[in-house]
Amino acid sequence: MEYAVTIDKLSKDFGRFRAVDEISLTVQKGEIFGFLGANGAGKTTAIRMLCGLLLPTSGLGTVNGFDIFKESEKIKKSIGYMSQKFSLYSDLTGRENLEFYGSIYHIPNGRLKERIAELARNLDIEEFIDRKAESLPTGWRQRLALAASLLHRPPILFLDEPTGGVDPVFRRRFWEILYRLADEGVTLFVTTHYMDEAEFCRRISIMHRGRIVEIGNPQELIKKHHQPDLQELFINLISKSEQNV
Amino acid sequence: MWSTIKALIIKELRQSLRDPMMIRLIFVMPIIQLFVLGYAINTDVKDIYTVVYDFDRSEMSREYVRSLSAGNYFNIRPVEFPVLNIDHGFRENDYTAALIIPNDFSNDMNRKKQPVVGLMVDGSNANSAAIALGYAGLITGQFNQRATGLSSPLILRQKKLYNPEAESVYFMIPGLITIMLTMITILLTSMAIVREREIGTLEQLMVTPIKKHELLLGKTIPFAIIGFMEMTVGLIIGLLWFKIPFVGSPILFYILAFIFQITALGIGIFISTISKTQQQAMFYGWFFTIFGIMTSGLFTPIENMPILIQRLTYLNPLRYFIKIIRAIMMKGATLQNLYPETAALIIFGLVIFSFAWMRFSKRVE
Repeated sequence: MEYAVTIDKLSKDFGRFRAVDEISLTVQKGEIFGFLGANGAGKTTAIRMLCGLLLPTSGLGTVNGFDIFKESEKIKKSIGYMSQKFSLYSDLTGRENLEFYGSIYHIPNGRLKERIAELARNLDIEEFIDRKAESLPTGWRQRLALAASLLHRPPILFLDEPTGGVDPVFRRRFWEILYRLADEGVTLFVTTHYMDEAEFCRRISIMHRGRIVEIGNPQELIKKHHQPDLQELFINLISKSEQNV
Repeated sequence: MWSTIKALIIKELRQSLRDPMMIRLIFVMPIIQLFVLGYAINTDVKDIYTVVYDFDRSEMSREYVRSLSAGNYFNIRPVEFPVLNIDHGFRENDYTAALIIPNDFSNDMNRKKQPVVGLMVDGSNANSAAIALGYAGLITGQFNQRATGLSSPLILRQKKLYNPEAESVYFMIPGLITIMLTMITILLTSMAIVREREIGTLEQLMVTPIKKHELLLGKTIPFAIIGFMEMTVGLIIGLLWFKIPFVGSPILFYILAFIFQITALGIGIFISTISKTQQQAMFYGWFFTIFGIMTSGLFTPIENMPILIQRLTYLNPLRYFIKIIRAIMMKGATLQNLYPETAALIIFGLVIFSFAWMRFSKRVE
């Protein structure tokens, strides 16, 4: 079995505060992995460590086979990252943003033009790609940001609440795109607060106060804990964990 | 490497030049600054309003007052007796000097008894007060010579080189150009990095394989270019409108300005590493710029500062650059004349830029 992500007892301290507390998990290649948790559970910190933005305090971890302590620059070449905040330049047009990131990833000019055209088609952003990003509604912006993170064809994509603040229609379309990507073999590591989205994931983990309290297939977890649905499971696990603290 | 840096520069210039606010900040504000401050900051002291209490009212005393009012230095207003409340006029800013001639002035003068006249000046502006006293002393000396017919044994013949009219605008414009260059470079560099951190785009950049030096060069070169454009605008206004002379080599001037900019860019990056928000960066930027300007010798001669502060000014890169810009523009100084200043700027540039470089990190904490 080949793993896109492996982490073992990974921790991160900020001063005396432990944001991530010895979490362990593996993600298989081509899998959609849902990284769930309450607000402030440490999801973003964990993702930032995997993407080479934060140096972990202790533990082990690899992304695409590269060590997260020593090979963060190699990791950065092989991942796509999309954060909860829109992080493209809003005073530039979509195309200018994509061209800029294409150059950062050293994609040659001719190939970059083709790639942008291809993404524009696949992600359905052609009609607004030449408008300034600031004039676009959130759902469109998110598709633009997704396009930017896919330019260099990364085998794994980290998505930190990609559909926050987006209406259900846009969310559905966004997830259709994600499914297509998974079919093409791209590994997806997604955080979300929407339980309907979590059900689309092959496996999920639930985090609370820096720890992973449960991990597995959503349907199996529902059965195991005798809950009616994922929403109840999530609330149940979090409040149980709260009592144990 | 260069394609990445080029992409960053294009992006940065696009953003800056597309924003009308930035255009105003970069080009219109400095022009206003130069025009207004070029006239406003005038260290020439002329037209000192002076009241005269002439108790003697003789031919001799009137002759003395006339000699004072020759030239544009003192603007004389005779006042009737009695001497009431001289203070009041000073407080009301009616005059800044008061001359009192006692009633035995001409008698004493004729009997060679050394009469005494009094001159009071408003010391709340220490600078103009000192200059007024200086003028009065000089004019009185000349009057003594004429009145006694004796010639002094020693004559000092004075000549001002390079700026014979002692126009303060010649002196100020190069300084204002320096301020513009410093301020725009420090502020734009630090704000550009902090703004990206604030809106989250820096994080997106940092998960790409971009190298630290590519990011830093791509973030500094655009503002070096903008700083140079602005300096050139300032220079053109100075030469064409204020008709300041430019005796030295413009090429040498631009090379040394570039070396100076490395320091300013380094300070900009450093500020960005200690600021979380654009407001913070702005305040730090102001602190560095104001401090630098005040101890650069631009407004007050360094020689007038206390010894301790004088020593401190050696740590101020602006001090060297202001000296360089004035020397090249007005005196036609060559590189040979400016070795120590150039060396100082190179050292500052290397130290500050590498320090900022080391502090800047591709992680987010």
